[in-house]
Amino acid sequence: MGCGLRKSEVQQKKCDRVSLSVPAATAIRAALLIQRWYRQYVARLEIRRRCTWNIFQSIEYAGQQDQIKLYSFFGFLMDHFTPASSERNLISHIFRENEICRDVEWERYFCYKSIDVPDSYTGPHLTFPMTFCGVSKLVEAFKHKQQLHARYVLQILGETWRLLRILPNISHLSSCHTKEITICGDLHGQLEDLLLIFYKNGLPSTEKPYVFNGDFVDRGKNSLEILLILFGFLLVYPNDVHLNRGNHEDHIVNLRYGFTKEVLGKYRVHGKKILKLLQKIFSWLPLATVIDHKVLIAHGGISDTTDLNVIARVDRHKYASTLRPPKMTKLAVNGSNSQTTNRRNGDAGVPVDFRRRVRSLTHHSSTPPQGLPRRSLHNLHTSHQHMNWSVDDELKKRRRLAGFDQSYGERKKPDSDSDPECEEGTETYEHEWEQMVDLLWSDPMPQNGCIPNEVRGGGCYWGPDVTEEVLGRHNLQLLIRSHECKQDGYEFCHNRRVLTIFSASNYYEVGSNRGAYIRMGADLVPHFVQYQASRTCRELTLRQSVGWTERSALQALRRQLFVHKSDLISAFREFDPNNTGIISPSHWASATESVLKLGLPWRVLRPQLVSSTKNGMVDYQEWMKELSITEPKLEISDTSLLETMYKNHSNLETIFRIIDTDHSGLISYEEFRQTWKLLSSHLKTEISDDVIANLAQSIDFNKDGSIDINEFMEAFRLVDLSAHS
Amino acid sequence: MALLLPRGADNFKDAFQLFDRTPTSEMKITYAQCGDLIRALGQNPTNTEIMYVLGKPKAEDMNTKMLDFDQFLPIHQHICKAKDRGTFEDFVEGLRVFDKEGNGTVMGAELRHVLATLGEKMREDEVEQLMQNQEDANGCINYEAFVKYIMSEVENANLIKFLYSQAEGCCLWELLLTYLYV
Repeated sequence: MGCGLRKSEVQQKKCDRVSLSVPAATAIRAALLIQRWYRQYVARLEIRRRCTWNIFQSIEYAGQQDQIKLYSFFGFLMDHFTPASSERNLISHIFRENEICRDVEWERYFCYKSIDVPDSYTGPHLTFPMTFCGVSKLVEAFKHKQQLHARYVLQILGETWRLLRILPNISHLSSCHTKEITICGDLHGQLEDLLLIFYKNGLPSTEKPYVFNGDFVDRGKNSLEILLILFGFLLVYPNDVHLNRGNHEDHIVNLRYGFTKEVLGKYRVHGKKILKLLQKIFSWLPLATVIDHKVLIAHGGISDTTDLNVIARVDRHKYASTLRPPKMTKLAVNGSNSQTTNRRNGDAGVPVDFRRRVRSLTHHSSTPPQGLPRRSLHNLHTSHQHMNWSVDDELKKRRRLAGFDQSYGERKKPDSDSDPECEEGTETYEHEWEQMVDLLWSDPMPQNGCIPNEVRGGGCYWGPDVTEEVLGRHNLQLLIRSHECKQDGYEFCHNRRVLTIFSASNYYEVGSNRGAYIRMGADLVPHFVQYQASRTCRELTLRQSVGWTERSALQALRRQLFVHKSDLISAFREFDPNNTGIISPSHWASATESVLKLGLPWRVLRPQLVSSTKNGMVDYQEWMKELSITEPKLEISDTSLLETMYKNHSNLETIFRIIDTDHSGLISYEEFRQTWKLLSSHLKTEISDDVIANLAQSIDFNKDGSIDINEFMEAFRLVDLSAHS
Repeated sequence: MALLLPRGADNFKDAFQLFDRTPTSEMKITYAQCGDLIRALGQNPTNTEIMYVLGKPKAEDMNTKMLDFDQFLPIHQHICKAKDRGTFEDFVEGLRVFDKEGNGTVMGAELRHVLATLGEKMREDEVEQLMQNQEDANGCINYEAFVKYIMSEVENANLIKFLYSQAEGCCLWELLLTYLYV
């Protein structure tokens, strides 16, 4: 190619056939210069992206920890007293292990046959047994935003339940030369992503087997539709569609993260039944999939004690929620397997299991292990030390606060106490439960070792040495897992022996990340397909998408700062003894971290969060005023109560939903009062009955004195009124 | 310019933390992350320069060997002292080399080829990302605009404007470290 060719002609030639028209040395120098600058540009963008990611993740994981703390608190209450038979126990039903109903009786309860489909129904009609046409019709209907009638929902779920009960804990697949296996990660209710996958890759069938690796529900608005589609395909192709359980396939987690709300909103009459049936289905979902005895697929990951033989034998349906082990006795505390407590170093153990930790506090020294994670549950740690010193006192106080007023007499021993075999039985229970939690909640880390996953509150962090050991022990070559959002939809780690696959694009925000799925043939080499569901049709450049996500993250962070206003001001004042209203940026950063405990690089973020600075110092009073971002729709004069409400928005909602035992969406005044009592004892603050009565009065009651949960929560949702661009 | 990096500077550690992926926050980064951190802090070394200051590590060491804050600082200083960083003009000159018709444009195709085959080669997806939306209908790129675009992360950021306006009150340290968030 010479100088004679016009540029447009040259453009049509392939890149690699273009030859150079300048001396090589000059070209190389020029190339180096451009490459250097490019790499710097990318590194800067990357640090911005990471900063943003960090913010979202910290807030997300802090939310998860919060929930687990709350749930553990209930567990503690439950375990340490016994309600009188006349007393209605508000929260016991979710822990109820004594379900004497047999499956047959459940089947009768879940029967769809009595539900009629009216002529006015315009949604899809299904016939059973399900066929490929039937499911495709369902997919189409959901694409057009139709809703499936409750009768058909219960029918599909019923069939699914029946099928899942005969499936093993670990499914074994064989790859084959003529067809590739498709593996998808978290979907989290994002129907657009599932539809995009089907569009790009084709619907599941015998020629197109799929593995879905958990977390189908929560957060997105179409969790139920996704489940129905996946179950539909499972029913039609039970040998070619495989579903693994994720940590969100759990009715307790669903209470907080939106799935329960979604179902109740869409099915006002039959929602409760649907949820109950789903609870059973979730507990019956298989735990892992293995391809060719070489590739293991599980939602979270592994730990140093992972043993697939144990997992294969477990009665998986006993663990309706992986957040808490089945009820254990007092005996179990003392006879408990010391192996399990020693494996996880130190006192900062898995916060979910109360007993184990209380016991370990007496046995081990109370100095925390070196390098305690930034995001460890410090509060929980100290609160348990406190409880250990005078458990009875603490117990009485809490129960009083919570409004349980029966006197604490002899503890009624649970039945299994008298069973001599129980001791061993509950040890196995605990060990099995741990295996399951590890499989569903763990995350990989770069360093060797295996430590408790403090950030999530469940499972562990495992290192490359554990990967080698576990994979080696089982003769496996690759672990595919999900559970963590990745920028590009997938990521390798541990020398490419662990692969994370995440299929919910734009998870944190529009443009935050791509989703991906894997196609794997007989060679067991993963091939990736990435995508990004876009509501706006234009493709964002990397810089634009970083910018979008960044704005969103900063808004979320401002909300967090706002709800902690009074704590922040107190913290700032400690650095400002002369009450000048001004502190240094360093002090601002330390104070903010001490209150929010999100482990974020505040000094780096400060310019984006604080505009009121004089001479490089922070005018915190001015800043706090700037942060005002909302007006509540109800008039509450008590500002500290208001702040409590904003700060504990999610906790409050979770408690409401737990209390709303018939899932009606309405709770009575008395239940409302007890909710507040529970919350205040969990937070260790006092909220008087008067305050609660005033609060209740300012809400519009129906004549029958009941409160609509959704309305109430909506009134206190934080709306960012600030005009930050 | 040479930077005086006081030991234990909290602000600097903050940035280090962003790259620190250890869940127990040991404040260590891998060798592989070193180059990116240096770049994020405002330098633009070549990969060769980075390998050199790291002591020419083996490929398998890049993801396993770690550096803590105190080990990182002298490495960063060394890079900062290197001359010939390249200014906007140098960059434009570099591209002008490929402007055969002398009309302020280069051909996208040629530039892609160069970046992917010469110097410290870029991958196809990196080249794509760099050139995204830069070529006109004829496949040509106006390189002055292109350079401004690359450098606009620095120049147009509100942060930098803000910093320059605050330069008197701000200590040098803060100024430099806030580059991180550009």
